[in-house]
Amino acid sequence: MLTRRSKLMAASALAVAAGLALSHPASAADQVIKIGIDASLTGGDANEAELVKNGAMLAIDEANAAKTVKGVKFEGYVLDDGTATAGQYDPAQAAVNARKFVADKAVMGEVGPQMSGAAKAMIPIASWANLAMITESATNPAMTDPANAAQYRPNGKPVFFRTVATDAYQGPYLANYYADVLKVKTLYVLDDTGAYGEGIAKAFEEQAQKKGIKLLGHDKLDPKAADYTAVFTKIKEMNPDALFYGGVLQAGVKVVKQAYDILPHTIIKGGGDGIIGAEMFTAAGYPAAEGWYGTQASPHVTEDKAASEFIAKYKAKYNKAPDDYTITAYDGTLVIIDAVKRVKESGKPITREAVRDAVATANVKTLQGMVAFDDNGDIKDKVISIFQAHENKAAAIDDVDGQFKYVGVAPQS
Amino acid sequence: MTSFDVYLQQVINGTSLGAMYALLALGFTLVYGILELINFAHFNVFMVGSFVGLGMLEALGVAPNGAALTGFALVGVLLATFAVTMLASGLLGVGIERIALKPLRNVKGPAAMITTIGVSYVLFNLVLLGLGADAKNFPSPLPSVSFAIGGAVLRLREILIWVVSLALMGGLTYFVQFTKIGKAMRATAQDPEAARMMGVEVDRVIIAAFFLGSALAGAGGLMFGLYYNLTSYVIGFTAGLRAFTAAVLGGIGNVPGAMLGGILIGLIEAFGSYWISAAWADVVIFSILVLVLVFKPAGLLGRVAPNKS
Repeated sequence: MLTRRSKLMAASALAVAAGLALSHPASAADQVIKIGIDASLTGGDANEAELVKNGAMLAIDEANAAKTVKGVKFEGYVLDDGTATAGQYDPAQAAVNARKFVADKAVMGEVGPQMSGAAKAMIPIASWANLAMITESATNPAMTDPANAAQYRPNGKPVFFRTVATDAYQGPYLANYYADVLKVKTLYVLDDTGAYGEGIAKAFEEQAQKKGIKLLGHDKLDPKAADYTAVFTKIKEMNPDALFYGGVLQAGVKVVKQAYDILPHTIIKGGGDGIIGAEMFTAAGYPAAEGWYGTQASPHVTEDKAASEFIAKYKAKYNKAPDDYTITAYDGTLVIIDAVKRVKESGKPITREAVRDAVATANVKTLQGMVAFDDNGDIKDKVISIFQAHENKAAAIDDVDGQFKYVGVAPQS
Repeated sequence: MTSFDVYLQQVINGTSLGAMYALLALGFTLVYGILELINFAHFNVFMVGSFVGLGMLEALGVAPNGAALTGFALVGVLLATFAVTMLASGLLGVGIERIALKPLRNVKGPAAMITTIGVSYVLFNLVLLGLGADAKNFPSPLPSVSFAIGGAVLRLREILIWVVSLALMGGLTYFVQFTKIGKAMRATAQDPEAARMMGVEVDRVIIAAFFLGSALAGAGGLMFGLYYNLTSYVIGFTAGLRAFTAAVLGGIGNVPGAMLGGILIGLIEAFGSYWISAAWADVVIFSILVLVLVFKPAGLLGRVAPNKS
């Protein structure tokens, strides 16, 4: 006979057992495969990092719920490459994270990192382990350039793939837009001395000069310094038609504020995808942000009907609107899941090498369309979208998609 | 713009920046003069000051990109914000001294200095965790009034920086030269043992130095926000390092030296960015520091300290 007390205990034991069963719907025999997710969750890019991390997690959760790969349970393994001291991504932390992914035998692929500077530190480590990485937003061209194979493919095959185009396209295509559509004749270029900023600024200015735009000067800014007034005074003296800033928002918000304070308001101002972020509006704010051009190295699908279902699901789950790089992160995760699926179905054991080979030959239907890679790991279909900041009182001030108005696809030549 | 206009504009840029460095440098110098301690917590007292100012302005109803104030409302809001910010920062400085440094007062070696580095990181991470990593738009009650001098532009915010810095530096000089506690500070700086024997309460002098230095840093932080319309948890390190350099350049422990050093560093930064490149600003600043220290090891206005032992 059960006493009242033991009844209670029995009931709670049952409840615990039921809870355990609920939280582990996959059967015990399922193989656990981890997908590493590296993002800059601390520092100036934290908002964007949270969006892309959740994009990857959503793909993983959906694959588990739909049992996309029979006998496999996916887990996200999230690491942060931002540090408080750096105030943004820290390459040293990224290298530590790469070693952690490699040390965990269940990790078969990685989504990320967001930043090119972090990617440069991670790729050599991933290469020795044959660990496939798919970045949603690291757009510096050097990492997939075959000329740098000794550095980024020490083990032979490329391990670094992207579901975005690169700055080799992002910078030059925007330069085409400056020359052909905006009719810019004279130009001043700034960068924030980061791997991304320097790369995109260089690619931009080379194409701009090919298009006949006169380069009046190029300055490098220390992202931790506060005062760029001396540089903007120099630019004001030269009086160019347009300004291009290559870099992320840590220096970017100060560039936007001080350019507005010092330069004539008629000057054309633009940057790459590094300035597409909420801080553009929450920290720099209007009127300084008004009119700035920015790009994304992916097709702008968040306004497409096909993506609207994804956006609704994402908003319901995370209470925030996804942006274009959330979608490329989701797409990259789909590619890894698809690669694992093909390896599993071929009957071979799931190894990092087999997954990498499967990623290299991927042809996966994703939100941005079919994703396939060339021999260097770059996406085959390269589209650059252009946006312009324009005050939109109907949208929240931190709603990046609401404040950056889609202008169109950048000219490819 | 003619080249004269550009030079004039760079002087305006450089002196405004320099005035901010000078306020911050004074805090290093006050504490060093009395305790021979380099207080690295000062970097982030400046940063906390800018956030206190931000909170105070918001509490007074000044919104980012809101309507600018004029007349008495403007003066009242600025006075109240400066008073609260300086008081809060001053008390923070005193709190740091009481909690973290006083117990180490008689410990020889670098323990106290290392502790200040620790306190600096504590402040830095508290603000990071509490308020987030993103830069904050700083509300400005200043109307966007500016005066054209030829092709150069002088804005109200630059005038504010100069006026406030000069007033605070003048007030500090008066305080140190003519008040009783100021005299006690100078006496302690010269010879703490003798000062104590003459009845100076050294403990009170130390509290005064931390309060004044930190209050000036808080005022500097608030002016940083008003000038750049931005603040973030990382602003302390670059500004703090340059201000520390200014204090050493002018002669650490020397009050007029800190002011001179601050203005010089600001001007060097502006003209270095203009003539060479912004990326070389630090190289230029620290090269000049090394050169000055080679030829004048005690700094521009400093004297080699008499041997206190």
